[in-house]
Amino acid sequence: MAEVVSPVPGAGRREPGEVGRARGPPVADPGAALSPQGEIIEGCRLPVLRRNQDNEDEWPLAEILSVKDISGRKLFYVHYIDFNKRLDEWVTHERLDLKKIQFPKKEAKTPTKNGLPGSRPGSPEREVPASTQASGKTLPIPVQITLRFNLPKEREAIPGGEPDQPLSSSSCLQPNHRSTKRKVEVVSPATPVPSETAPASVFPQNGSARRAVAAQPGRKRKSNCLGTDEDSQDSSDGIPSAPRMTGSLVSDRSHDDIVTRMKNIECIELGRHRLKPWYFSPYPQELTTLPVLYLCEFCLKYGRSLKCLQRHLTKCDLRHPPGNEIYRKGTISFFEIDGRKNKSYSQNLCLLAKCFLDHKTLYYDTDPFLFYVMTEYDCKGFHIVGYFSKEKESTEDYNVACILTLPPYQRRGYGKLLIEFSYELSKVEGKTGTPEKPLSDLGLLSYRSYWSQTILEILMGLKSESGERPQITINEISEITSIKKEDVISTLQYLNLINYYKGQYILTLSEDIVDGHERAMLKRLLRIDSKCLHFTPKDWSKRGKW
Amino acid sequence: MSKLSFRARALDAAKPLPIYRGKDMPDLNDCVSINRAVPQMPTGMEKEEESEHHLQRAISAQQVFREKKESMVIPVPEAESNVNYYNRLYKGEFKQPKQFIHIQPFNLDNEQPDYDMDSEDETLLNRLNRKMEIKPLQFEIMIDRLEKASSNQLVTLQEAKLLLNEDDYLIKAVYDYWVRKRKNCRGPSLIPQIKQEKRDGSTNNDPYVAFRRRTEKMQTRKNRKNDEASYEKMLKLRREFSRAITILEMIKRREKTKRELLHLTLEVVEKRYHLGDYGGEILNEVKISRSEKELYATPATLHNGNHHKVPECKPKHPHHLSLKEEASDVVRQKKKYPKKPKAEALITSQQPTPETLPVINKSDIKQYDFHSSDEDEFPQVPSPVSEPEEENDPDGPCAFRRRAGCQYYAPRLDQANHSLENSELADLDKLRYRHCLTTLTVPRRCIGFARRRIGRGGRVIMDRISTEHDPVLKQIDPEMLNGFSSSSQTIDFSSNFSRTNASSKHCENRLSLSEILSNIRSCRLQCFQPRILNVQDSDSEECTSRKPGQTVNSKRVSAASVALLNTSKNGISGGITEEQFQTHQQQLVQMQRQQLAQLQQKQQSQHSSQQTHPKAQGSSASDCMSKTLDSASAHFAASAVVSAPVPGRSEASKEQNTGHNNINGVVQPSGTSKTLYSTNMALSSSPGISAVQLVRTVGHTTTNHLIPALCTSSPQTLPMNNSCLTNAVHLNNVSVVSPVNVHINTRTSAPSPTALKLATVAASMDRVPKVTPSSAISSIARENHEPERLGLNGIAETTVAMEVT
Repeated sequence: MAEVVSPVPGAGRREPGEVGRARGPPVADPGAALSPQGEIIEGCRLPVLRRNQDNEDEWPLAEILSVKDISGRKLFYVHYIDFNKRLDEWVTHERLDLKKIQFPKKEAKTPTKNGLPGSRPGSPEREVPASTQASGKTLPIPVQITLRFNLPKEREAIPGGEPDQPLSSSSCLQPNHRSTKRKVEVVSPATPVPSETAPASVFPQNGSARRAVAAQPGRKRKSNCLGTDEDSQDSSDGIPSAPRMTGSLVSDRSHDDIVTRMKNIECIELGRHRLKPWYFSPYPQELTTLPVLYLCEFCLKYGRSLKCLQRHLTKCDLRHPPGNEIYRKGTISFFEIDGRKNKSYSQNLCLLAKCFLDHKTLYYDTDPFLFYVMTEYDCKGFHIVGYFSKEKESTEDYNVACILTLPPYQRRGYGKLLIEFSYELSKVEGKTGTPEKPLSDLGLLSYRSYWSQTILEILMGLKSESGERPQITINEISEITSIKKEDVISTLQYLNLINYYKGQYILTLSEDIVDGHERAMLKRLLRIDSKCLHFTPKDWSKRGKW
Repeated sequence: MSKLSFRARALDAAKPLPIYRGKDMPDLNDCVSINRAVPQMPTGMEKEEESEHHLQRAISAQQVFREKKESMVIPVPEAESNVNYYNRLYKGEFKQPKQFIHIQPFNLDNEQPDYDMDSEDETLLNRLNRKMEIKPLQFEIMIDRLEKASSNQLVTLQEAKLLLNEDDYLIKAVYDYWVRKRKNCRGPSLIPQIKQEKRDGSTNNDPYVAFRRRTEKMQTRKNRKNDEASYEKMLKLRREFSRAITILEMIKRREKTKRELLHLTLEVVEKRYHLGDYGGEILNEVKISRSEKELYATPATLHNGNHHKVPECKPKHPHHLSLKEEASDVVRQKKKYPKKPKAEALITSQQPTPETLPVINKSDIKQYDFHSSDEDEFPQVPSPVSEPEEENDPDGPCAFRRRAGCQYYAPRLDQANHSLENSELADLDKLRYRHCLTTLTVPRRCIGFARRRIGRGGRVIMDRISTEHDPVLKQIDPEMLNGFSSSSQTIDFSSNFSRTNASSKHCENRLSLSEILSNIRSCRLQCFQPRILNVQDSDSEECTSRKPGQTVNSKRVSAASVALLNTSKNGISGGITEEQFQTHQQQLVQMQRQQLAQLQQKQQSQHSSQQTHPKAQGSSASDCMSKTLDSASAHFAASAVVSAPVPGRSEASKEQNTGHNNINGVVQPSGTSKTLYSTNMALSSSPGISAVQLVRTVGHTTTNHLIPALCTSSPQTLPMNNSCLTNAVHLNNVSVVSPVNVHINTRTSAPSPTALKLATVAASMDRVPKVTPSSAISSIARENHEPERLGLNGIAETTVAMEVT
């Protein structure tokens, strides 16, 4: 039931499917929709050419999230279905397989040109299962989503001066109603608006969805819609607009906005590296149009140009993260940074990290977090390799909030090193810990791998005493490793080590497990040496508010 | 497979799991997967993402191969690490410090401008640099200030000029440039900044707003609730911290002093070693030459006005040896004094050790063994012989507190000693350290043989010694000795009753003591009575003998001492208030100072006056008496009385007999008296006290009218009262006692309410209803014409007011 944005531009209304599913109609640039490319609008699904890591061409199904026009050339922001968002990209129309295009279901009838697509792509396939599955978490979400969509729409609508506004407002009150949906959609006609709001030179006059979205997210939806029912809608929905205040990851959809679904930074230069961000990051909006964002490698301050960075470097004498070094072995060091005491660095770090962490939220300040930055030393200084953040006080045994190895250093063992270090800290604290959820795909793989290796290390290290078979409890494993019990169990399950045999549970180490482990351990050269850790945990609960 | 049907028990995390290797398990296939029994743990991922293609592929690859295959990794956008200008960008090298890096939180904010120049700016800069010099940093600072000073509204050029400390042309150029650039700038600021939240909540959903404050409304209320309490706590904390600081500073000072002491001790020992003074002879010699007092076995503390002109801080005879002694003995006795250095100085200067060196060393050792690390370097050692009164004294010997703003002087060494017998010391010292018969003022009794020494703060310490005469001596009534003392010695009158004083001479006849008394009289036996009783309260300052130092036998000397007494009394009247007396002995010191000053001048005159005018002597005696009376009744009055007579007397005897009869009670100040007065005035704290004393003395005199002898003596005190008491006036006129006193009294008296009360009492006693004390005082005050009194007048008035109330 998500409404399918109809390809027809300028159509006043569309018929949304389910209110809950209602996502704002994609920003349909009239031009785009009507373009020779075949009315390609946001929400369309079609195979898109992509080259896989084996350098083979594939045509995975993708969804158009946004369309933009740069110097007469259309670009489509596509999300490959069932691929991680980090692979989303801008493609030219040559890579689109227009023959297999699927338009958003219901949108077809009710063309909405709202510039803003829904939080989720309105692909028909997705819609259905989503709605059906909705039982779990989806249910509450829809409302929010509607909300969101409405907001952007309204935004557009206002400038457009469309009469639909009142409708939308009224509709908003009853999200589940079809009518509401429509009304909401109605707002969308604002399509023309984009051009008017279109920021500047970067984008050509036919404001694309992206421009509309990205360039203007800064406006307050509410402020814009103040007079309208938006607010009332908000309240009626009764959905808290702010995410929870603990933790740093967002598991709900509260941020699942089209804006945040799209990468906004093209490239980041950090020291020797040029990074292609994977996800949205709320760097100052005026910087998002830059081809390259220049970061100071040590303080992570962002600048618009190389010249700025140059100038900055004359004033910045940092050669290491601005915190206390608590671990050093070889060239690897860890620095501890207090999110309250060193706000600017913490924020810069978060901004950078957000580029590579989908579910990270920067909604709230960094005060309740500590940041452990792993660096590698060379003659130029201590270069950031990765980091993890950690709540000073976690109510849920989290010992890691966000964890990231910067892309240039990935797949070289640093991630596991970070994880290992986080557990070393937990060991010093005498607690077990677990990473905050949700995990990303890479996070899951890394943690599983770490857990597996750590647990197998223990199991295989057990010697049988006095001829008896060695045995160990899950609690013991947990205590030794500081890995939370649930994670131990899940790992044992994942490795298929737990079996029920003759009336009791046993752990079985099959040969391929043992072999695989031994091989893996051979490759795992980077390890944390707890002797090199100089860390005294603080009792943050005694310090008042962080 | 049949086993699948039965339900496995739940997995128990606390239960040991035996570990089987693959090879140990031939029948592994029989194992039942526990997947059904153990709830599947969630992966912790978002459901939709869990199904992502690459992840699934990677997971299955891992399941299969037990390790990652290169092709099975999750693809990520590429990153390049080939920034070729890196080395040019990041200049210089950074050497890894040996130590872990620790950062000082406050070093982080440097004053560097946040604005970074771009190439556009550089162009401008180049252009500007043709005309003037402007550095990039300077430019950045300017832009930075402009940016930070303006929000949505740009600062105006005028504001910019205030903001920037540059020359106008440059400001104009930069400002114009900045305005232009700002207008073209897409962002809200030329310094890119994360978007801030707005308080109205309008930014709640703005994805570009980040790092919102975590505000919890409940918490604010809670905080407010605690505000007051926490504020008080903070205050308290601050107080305590500052106290801690003070304490630490004091400790520091103490430890320094201790170190110094140690060094000095070492030095002495070394010197002695070099001199070969193994037996302590040389040391003794030196000590004797320097010391004027002895230590006695049983020290009793006398709180008295042994105040000498010698400033405490400058010991007359600084001596290492004495230092040690003091440290070991005296010092510990007087814990009261917070100012240790002073105390030490005092001790060193005044307390010569009779003992031989070895003894001293022992004491030193002791000190270091037991006290060096003590909080209290000078723990108070209860004096072995404490008078019952002393023991009963609620405030104890510690009642004395130094006052801020008061100067304390060391006892005069020259006066400090008396003498006598029974010295364990060498004959040499005999004279110096003799014990003499001593009478105490307040517990009015004779305590037998004792010697006096002066402790810290000028208190007198009596070291008693037992002799076979003790039983007899106990019977001695101090009054019996008064006569002697006054005549032969400089002994003060400790008696509370003026009549006894007056009659004391006559009482000497008592049989039981006749021998002793006769000895005393003939000066074969020295007897000591404290002269000034200013302090003698049972509470704090009994047993004080005013002039410890007046050991001189000769009458002349005694006369001189009398003069001293008088002067001292004057000083007292000026300096010490009876009411406050317990707490303000310091003022006594000042008085003594004055006394000394006068003493020098008037010794002769006094002597002569005494000789020529027996009455005068009597009067002096009576003065003393009156003082004692005061002390007994109210300690202060006594001192006041004493003080009054002295100046008057001296002057009267010589010059002023002509008599300024102060009919009105207003005495014209004689020159001397003026000086005295002025000196008194100089003593800031004194006036109030003296006034009180005066009043009291008046009362005495009135009571004493009956006794002629007293009358004669009393007049001197009376003059002061003249204004109030007509009776007194008449008597007083003769002695010309003291315009000075009057003045002093009036001024000083004004402040103290008690004085006023006393005055009233006195008036009533006199039965002269006409003059109320208040009026008298006021009149006095009025009549003070001297410029110095200005302040006093005010005081007097206030006192009047008080009286009214």
